[in-house]
Amino acid sequence: MALPAPTARRVREALTGYAFVLPAVALFLVMGVYTIGYGLTLSFARWNGFSRHWTWVGLGNYLDLLYRDPVLAPAVRSAALRTGVVMVAAPAFAVVMGLPLAVLLNRIGRLRALYRTVFFLPYVTAGIAVYYAWTYALAPDGSVNFLLRHLGLGSLAQPQGFLGNPATALPTLIVVTAWSAVPVATLLYLTALQALDTSVLDAAAVDGAGGARTMTAVVWPMLRPITAAVVMLGMRDALQGFQLFLVMTNGGPGGHTTVLGLEAYDLSFANQFRPTLGLASALGWLLFVVALLLSAVNVRALRSRA
Amino acid sequence: MTRRVVVHLLLGLYGLVSAYPFLWMVSGALQGTKEMLGGGHLIPRHPTLGTLAQTWTQLHFLRYFGNSLAVTVATTVGALAVYSLAGYSFGALRFPGRRLLYGCFVALLFVPGITMLLPLVILQNRLGLLGTRTGLILPGINATAPLAVMLLTNAFRAVPRELREAARMDGAGEARTFVSVYLPAVRPALVTLALLTAIPTWNEFVLARVSLGDPATYTLPLGLQDLSSSANPQQNTLMAASLIIVIPVVLLFVFLQRSFVNGLTGAVKG
Repeated sequence: MALPAPTARRVREALTGYAFVLPAVALFLVMGVYTIGYGLTLSFARWNGFSRHWTWVGLGNYLDLLYRDPVLAPAVRSAALRTGVVMVAAPAFAVVMGLPLAVLLNRIGRLRALYRTVFFLPYVTAGIAVYYAWTYALAPDGSVNFLLRHLGLGSLAQPQGFLGNPATALPTLIVVTAWSAVPVATLLYLTALQALDTSVLDAAAVDGAGGARTMTAVVWPMLRPITAAVVMLGMRDALQGFQLFLVMTNGGPGGHTTVLGLEAYDLSFANQFRPTLGLASALGWLLFVVALLLSAVNVRALRSRA
Repeated sequence: MTRRVVVHLLLGLYGLVSAYPFLWMVSGALQGTKEMLGGGHLIPRHPTLGTLAQTWTQLHFLRYFGNSLAVTVATTVGALAVYSLAGYSFGALRFPGRRLLYGCFVALLFVPGITMLLPLVILQNRLGLLGTRTGLILPGINATAPLAVMLLTNAFRAVPRELREAARMDGAGEARTFVSVYLPAVRPALVTLALLTAIPTWNEFVLARVSLGDPATYTLPLGLQDLSSSANPQQNTLMAASLIIVIPVVLLFVFLQRSFVNGLTGAVKG
């Protein structure tokens, strides 16, 4: 049998290509493009989810969220502020915990796999079960208070519970967010450390640099792309994620832990019969714009440093 | 010597922090209601498997487990099927428009989940899928698209093109070439994708919460939430329920740890 002519072969390859992406594209059109288009359109309308017609308001929803609505705009602003705090504090925490842990893990031979498994638990189990366990541990009669009192640190214990006190609720949620971000940070740093050129470290030692000096002057700059990746992932999760906040405090006490994602969720699902669905969509798209800006900044940062 | 002790001490200490809620879960789940009502102990004085057994049988956790398993398996198998085909065509075949299509899938990475949540529920309703497992499975598969397409396109691209030519020479058709030459070559990437799909799907809570109404269709996370909002929930029962959710993923992770860790570093770097 003669081989088919090159053009015929190329056409066949292209047709196979289209046939093979078809299921993914079909799913994408229905679940992705349709929902994105629908959400974007809805962001320019008022709707309560039940009435037959939408009321077009143009950019009204966006303006209401940003400054026009006397109740909503301040709420969005303080939620944005809280989200910003989480976006800075949680990744910083993940770097500060993840890097030393990776350095320590890199030093040991035995038990490394065991530690890695245990350190990875928060990532694998991220979800409502673990958040409930934390909620109970942080309750007024929970184990965190119990431990603090028994370790002689009773002054740090929170009689109202760590999530019940408006002053400690947000910092506590930030710590739990960071706790779940540490595994990936540690893993990325560990992989990078293992790939580091040891001759550079030896050269630093020959030049008389001590451990701390080698760390700050040689290792830390070389790990910059990893740090950028960890910070980027952490910021993205903080911007988009709200599940932990929904499960552990649902924005309480007194709205002190409402972040932007939770605000959008409440506008979508907690205001039955009120025409807030357009506002919810608009807030979702504002989050999208921030996410896009964030990744643009990060791409530049990675390019200029790596 | 002392230095090594310090290193292990520090690592062990963080290990405790890392495992803290799990220790708490295990401790709570192994206590009876009587002990719990008396204040409970970090190390159970009268350890019992009764709470776990009761949660499993009387509180419908067997049914929730079945629902979770069905949704997770279907989503994972669906994602593997749909995106191995797409990844193969992006990574190994040449056709006009593939770069643009690839870009569309990756761009999905930037759309926050909350932005899609409300339209998804409305779409489920229109398609008559609101409250059904299929209503969770289809968006679940689509949600893995950006990561799956990137991961598998890279994996298929790394397979030498000569293999394809050789298979063609041997008279293998397109489907044969894909199934018996390419799929085996990217097995590690498939395992990674399976885990990266199965774990978040197992833990998924938000979409299930806003779309499932009938307790008979509840997945485990929803069952747990339902239990916690019931009148006077006991901590030992809640911790037993949490443990039932957590144990399968922990086991899955322990057994497939190596490929998971390798794949994750690859995916994040890639």
